[in-house]
Amino acid sequence: MYKLILVILSCIYLYAGEPISAIPQESGVNIDKAVLGKELFFDTILSRDNSTSCLSCHDVFNGGADTRVVSIGFGAREGNINSPTVLNARYNFKQFWNGRAKDLYEQVKGPIGNPVEHNMDSEILEKRINKSSHYKQKFKDIYGVSYVTMALVIDAIVEFENALITPNSKFDKFLRGEEALSKREREGYYIFKEYGCITCHNGINIGGNSFQKMGTFFEYDLNTTYPDRYDVTGIKSHKNVFKVPTLRNITLTAPYFHDGSAKTLKEAVITMAKHSLGIILLDSEVEKIIYFLETLDGELPTILDEK
Amino acid sequence: MKLNRLIFLVLAVGIILAIVLVYFYLLQRDFTKQHREFLISINQLDHSQRELTNIILENSLYTYNNQDEIAKVTRSIHQDFQNLENATILQSKAYMPVKRTLVHLKELIDENLQNIEEYLMINASIKNSLLFLTRYVDKAKHLKEQDKDLFIEAHQILEYFHNMKNMQNLDYLDNNFLLYSSSTDASTQNFIKNFNMHTSYMVKKYPHFIKITKSIINNEINDYIDDNRERFAKLSLTDFKALDTFALVLFTIFILVFCFIILLFIKYIQENKKLLKTKKSLEHSLIYDQLTNLYNRRAFEKDVFSLKMPHLLIINIDNFKHINDIYGNKVGNILLKELAELILLKLTNAEVKVYRLGGDEFGVLFEDIDPDEAFKIAKHLEYEIAHHNFIINDLELSILVSVASNNIEPILENTDLALKLLKKDITQRVIKYSDDLNLSKDIKHNLEILKFIKSAISEDTIVPYFQPIVDLQTSKIVKYESLVRLKLKDGAILSPLEFLDIAKRTPYYHEITRIMIEKTLQVANKYPQYRFSINISMMDILNDRLVDTLLENLQKNSASASKIDIEFLESENLQDISKVQNFIKEVKKYGCKILLDDFGSGYANFSHFSKLDIDIVKIDGSIIIGVDIDEKKLHMLTSIHKFTEGLGLENIAEFVETKELVDILKDVGVRYAQGYYFSKPLEHPLESDVVTL
Repeated sequence: MYKLILVILSCIYLYAGEPISAIPQESGVNIDKAVLGKELFFDTILSRDNSTSCLSCHDVFNGGADTRVVSIGFGAREGNINSPTVLNARYNFKQFWNGRAKDLYEQVKGPIGNPVEHNMDSEILEKRINKSSHYKQKFKDIYGVSYVTMALVIDAIVEFENALITPNSKFDKFLRGEEALSKREREGYYIFKEYGCITCHNGINIGGNSFQKMGTFFEYDLNTTYPDRYDVTGIKSHKNVFKVPTLRNITLTAPYFHDGSAKTLKEAVITMAKHSLGIILLDSEVEKIIYFLETLDGELPTILDEK
Repeated sequence: MKLNRLIFLVLAVGIILAIVLVYFYLLQRDFTKQHREFLISINQLDHSQRELTNIILENSLYTYNNQDEIAKVTRSIHQDFQNLENATILQSKAYMPVKRTLVHLKELIDENLQNIEEYLMINASIKNSLLFLTRYVDKAKHLKEQDKDLFIEAHQILEYFHNMKNMQNLDYLDNNFLLYSSSTDASTQNFIKNFNMHTSYMVKKYPHFIKITKSIINNEINDYIDDNRERFAKLSLTDFKALDTFALVLFTIFILVFCFIILLFIKYIQENKKLLKTKKSLEHSLIYDQLTNLYNRRAFEKDVFSLKMPHLLIINIDNFKHINDIYGNKVGNILLKELAELILLKLTNAEVKVYRLGGDEFGVLFEDIDPDEAFKIAKHLEYEIAHHNFIINDLELSILVSVASNNIEPILENTDLALKLLKKDITQRVIKYSDDLNLSKDIKHNLEILKFIKSAISEDTIVPYFQPIVDLQTSKIVKYESLVRLKLKDGAILSPLEFLDIAKRTPYYHEITRIMIEKTLQVANKYPQYRFSINISMMDILNDRLVDTLLENLQKNSASASKIDIEFLESENLQDISKVQNFIKEVKKYGCKILLDDFGSGYANFSHFSKLDIDIVKIDGSIIIGVDIDEKKLHMLTSIHKFTEGLGLENIAEFVETKELVDILKDVGVRYAQGYYFSKPLEHPLESDVVTL
C-alpha cells in the first residue's frame, strides 16, 4: 500500500513537472563489455558475406538510423522497412516498428538472422568468432570463457546498445532547469502539448512507449505490406499500427515514418498532425514545432569515444 | 531380549528417528519456503496488476501523462507471472488445480494488456480530439456574438463528450453531436465542418473506448488472483495438516523412544549394580581368605611385589595337625579364625597387613620398618599368642607358634627358610633371618649334589669302595664292607656323608642301593676268599621293588650270596618289624648274615635281638674312639662284648685307628676290627689277605 502511494505520488510529480523525462547522464553499463559489443557492432564478420555490419544501417555517429528509405543488406537486397535508430533504443518499451521483440536481446537476433540483412545463423557466427583469436581473447578476458557462444555475442552488443544514449540535449537541460528554451522553442513545445502530440510522444524517449495507428484520424495508405502490429497480433484493426517512434535526435533520422515516405521533418510533422490529430497546422506552427524538436538532439554517446 | 540387543535396537531406532527428523526438517523447510515463494509471487502479481489499473486510471484522468510507467509495470507483470508460473510448489501434483488456473490467469492478463494497448491507442485520439474541440470552441469567439445558439450547442455537445468520458456512460450518444447552421458565413461553416469532423470521429470511437476502458478498470484479474490465493490456501492447509500430523507422530515416537531409553538406562544401572556387587565379592575372594577374612596368599604376592621395603613375619602354629586330629577340623578352623582376630587385635600399627599364607601359617607384612622393631613385634606376638586361652565350644586351648622375621629378598623364601630352621630348634620360638643362616646356600648346595647324583647314575659313576675287616686273632682280612662312593667328572670322590642324605629324599636313593648290590656281588664273585657286607636301610626294606631286585641278584649269584652280610643301622627306627623279619628270613635263605650296624650310638634297643635274627653286631665308632683313655667307654665296650658273646653273636669294632686300640680290643676279646689303622676304604679288595701295617 505504501508503495502504491509512492507510485501515485511520483505520477503526480511527473504530471506536475512534464510528461517527458530527461535521459540520465550515465548509462551505467560495463564499459569492457560495451566496448567489445561496439567492436562487434562495427564488424562485418557478423554477416554471412562479410558485407554488412550493424553499423551499415545504424550509423550511430549520425542519428543511429539509415539515411536510405529501406536498408540494403545481404546480397544487396532491400529491407522491408525504414531502419529505426539504435540511439536510446534501450528506452523503447518494445523493439522493432511492430514491437515483436520484447527487449534488445531479442531484437539483436532479428537483423543478424534476417536473410536480407546479415543472413547469419548462430552456428556459423560462433564458428567465426571462435576462429578469431582476437575475439576469443577478448571474450576470455571479459567473460572468462574459452568458447564464445551466440548468447555472449548478443550480450556484448546489447551492452553496447545500452550505452548508446544521447544525454544533455537542450530540452533535457531545460527539464533539469539548467537552460531555458528560446521563445519559439517554448512556443513549439506548447503547441506540441496543446495539439496532443504529447499524448503519444511522451516519456523519456518522447515516444517508444505505446503503439499507435499510423493515421488515426485520416486513414494512411492501408494497402502496404510493411510488417505492422497486425503481423504480431493478427487483429485486423492493428493494420498500420506501429510503435510510436522516439523523437530524440529526430533531425538526424530522416527519412521519416516506417516507410521512409517523409523526406523532411516539416513533411513528417504536417502529415502526423493531419492523419493522427485531424489538424491542419499553420506553417508558423510547423516551424515552431520543429524548433522544439531540434532541442531534442543530444550529445553523441560517450561510448563512441571509447577504444 | 538381551540388553545388548535392546541397546542396538534403540540405537537403530534413534538413528532412523534422527534421519526422519532431518528429513522432516528439510521437508517442512522446503515446504514453507515454497509456500512463501508462491505467496510472494502471487502477491507481487496482484500488486503489479492493481498498480497497472491505477496507472491507467491516472492516464485517463490526466491530459498529459508519461506512458513509460505503463510499459514498466507491464514488464513487471510479465516477470511476476513468470515467477508465479515457475513457483516450485506448483510442480507438485497436489497443486495442479492452482497451476491449471494459471492458464486462464495468463489469458486474462494478456487480454487485459491487449486491452490496454488498445486503450492507449483509442484514448490518444479521443483525448486529442477533445483537446482540439475544447480549444477550438474556446477560440471561436466570433460565434459568441454572431451565432450564440450555435456556440452554446457546441459547448453542450462538448460537455456530452466530457460527461460520457467521465461517467463512462454511452447514453449521451443518443443526443445530436453535429452542428448545423444556415449561416453563409465561411468561417462559421468552416468551424462547423471541423467541429463535426471531430465529433463524428469521436461518436464512432466512443462505444469501443468506453467498453475497453470499462473492461480494463473492471478487470477480473485481481478477483481471480484472490480466488486463486484462496484455493492455494485451502490446498496448502492439507499440507500443513499433514506436516502437523507428521510432527505429532514423530514427537510421539521420540517421546516413546526417550522413555524407552530411560527405562533401559534404569535397567542398565540396576544390572550394573548387580555386576558391581558380584565383582566386589569376586574381588574380595580374590584377595581375601574365606575362613579368616584376612588377605590371602595371592594378595600377599601382589602386595609384597609393590612394596619398596617389605618386612615379613611368618607365624606358624606348632603341631596344628594334632589339633585337627584331636579336636576335628571344625575346631581347627575356629581356632584359625580366632587366631587371625587375635593377631589383628595385637597389631596396633595401621600400616600393617595380615595374610593367611597357608593352612596354619599367617603373614604380617610391614613396609619400611626398623628390623629390630619388627623383631620386637614378632616376639610380642609370639608371647601374646602363647599366653592366650582360646575358648572354642567350651574347650580351652592354648597353642604355641613359631615366628620368623625377615626383610631380606627374596622375602617369602628367606622367611620360610628361617622358619624351617626355627622348627628344628625346639628351644627357640622367634627367629630373625640373616644371610648368616646360610639357608639358601644349603639349598643351592643340595641342588648341586642332586645334579651330581643324577649324572652319576646316568654315567655309572656310583661305585663301591671296600674297607677291609680284619680278624684280630689271625691278623688276616676276612671281610670287606662295601661303601658307596660317587665319582665326579673331575675325578674327585664324594663320600656318602655328602650326598646320601639328599639322595634319600629322592627316588635315586633306591637306585643307588641297587647299583651297590649289583656291583658288590660282582666283586664278591671275583674274590671268593672274602665275605662282603652291604648297607641296607629301613627305607630300602620298605621298598618292595628294591627287595625284589636284591633277592633276584642273590639268586643269580647264589655262590657269592652266602658270603654277603646285610648291614642294618641300629639307630634307625624299625617301623614295620614284621616286614624286617620277613626280609631277614628271605635273605637268609641265600646264606646271607644279618649285621646290626653302629650299635651303641642310638638307643641301643635290645629288643631288636629278640625280634630279629641277628648274626653280627658292629660296635659304634663313638664307643671305640677314645676307649683307650676313657674308663666308661671301656666298660661299655666290655659290656656290649659280653652281652653279644652271650647271645652267640660276633662283634666288629669300627673306627680302629691306632695300635693301642687294637691291643685293647684284643684284651676285651673283640674278634674283628676295621679302621684306618688297617686300611682306608679301597677301590678294589686286596688280592692277599695279609694285613700290611
